[in-house]
Amino acid sequence: MISLYRPGTSPLHRMPAGRKLLLIGVLVLAISIYPHTLWTLGIAVAVVVAGYLIAGQGISGLWRQVRMVWMLIVFTGVFQLIFVPWPAATITTTRILLVILCAALISLTTQTSAMLDAIERGLTPLSRIGVRADRIALLLALTITVIPVILGFARDIITAHRARGVRPGPRTFVVPLLVHTMRFADELGEALVARGLRS
Amino acid sequence: MTTRTSFGGADLARIAVFAALIAVLGMPPAIAAFGGAVPITAQTLGVMLAGTILGPWRGAAAVLVLELLAFAGLPVLAGGRGGAGVFVGPSVGYLIGWIAGVIVIGLIVRADRRRPTILRTSIGVVLGGIVTIYAFGIPFQAGITGLGFGPTFLSSLLFLPGDLIKAVIAVALTLALWRAYPRAFGQTSRRPQASSDTVTSVNESAPTTPQA
Repeated sequence: MISLYRPGTSPLHRMPAGRKLLLIGVLVLAISIYPHTLWTLGIAVAVVVAGYLIAGQGISGLWRQVRMVWMLIVFTGVFQLIFVPWPAATITTTRILLVILCAALISLTTQTSAMLDAIERGLTPLSRIGVRADRIALLLALTITVIPVILGFARDIITAHRARGVRPGPRTFVVPLLVHTMRFADELGEALVARGLRS
Repeated sequence: MTTRTSFGGADLARIAVFAALIAVLGMPPAIAAFGGAVPITAQTLGVMLAGTILGPWRGAAAVLVLELLAFAGLPVLAGGRGGAGVFVGPSVGYLIGWIAGVIVIGLIVRADRRRPTILRTSIGVVLGGIVTIYAFGIPFQAGITGLGFGPTFLSSLLFLPGDLIKAVIAVALTLALWRAYPRAFGQTSRRPQASSDTVTSVNESAPTTPQA
């Protein structure tokens, strides 16, 4: 599984994940709740573009992110135009795009492992109400390693269908996938119990 | 409801494996094989199945795990989406609704721990997988886009036919899985299971477990 992370040595890359989440979180909040005019929106655009340049993503990196959400933005924009006049529609649509682009900076400059560590650390104080951060961290790591296994099951089933000339549909594809998957879950569960994860 | 007894090894395995399954159902190769040219992803289907197969709490945990991985920067959401950006967009309410929806589905479908009937499964999937998810998604979308509740509701109707199809498929798949592999619906591992094939299974699965 290829993460969204783009390696680099920018100040954002070097910032600890927790602090970066806080910083960008505040920025996202500021952009989304400030009652924008076209002018302040221009400033927000400049801030986000500067953020991408500082993070070493360049305009091409920014554009790649825009392309990933273009359908959502077009959908939002068209609906805005139907119900509100164009300046308001432009402001809202741009604001939504900016907030998404801004938050995406976190994922672009933070390795998944660092994010997972930050999540575990963030959940640790919740142990008082019964949330076990170590268990959640184990679950996340386990899921990452299991995804390729399930993907392998899916490929096997598709190959088997092709060999028999069966047209894959929900029932002929998903039911075998579910059976393979749940059988694998039982085996994995027994392996975990055997390693001492009883409760 | 957060202070329940913690999940055991078998529960952890089911949660992780199902979270992975939902991720795989959102991947383009699976979609292409899934229905041909229909531009819907199978991911919501996976969310509905998490409720009917794993039950409310393990199902909700599986969806939460998937969303945490997406937040951590893995492209595990439909069509390779992921990252922190997803959680500040207009559709964030639907992601929250997934968790609530799975709980509703699980509570309705698995209420009496007997075989899932077509009637109860259908009610559960529609109330949890559509009504509950929309009930969370639409207010968030209305708030973020600044449009009123009415227009947002109208816009969400565009997705209703696809979701209804997925609900029908989810019901059919749940009943088919019950016939094909009822063990998948196994209740819990609170008490250690005394299954006869433990030794061979452990040996088989040992190479695939991490940090063995």
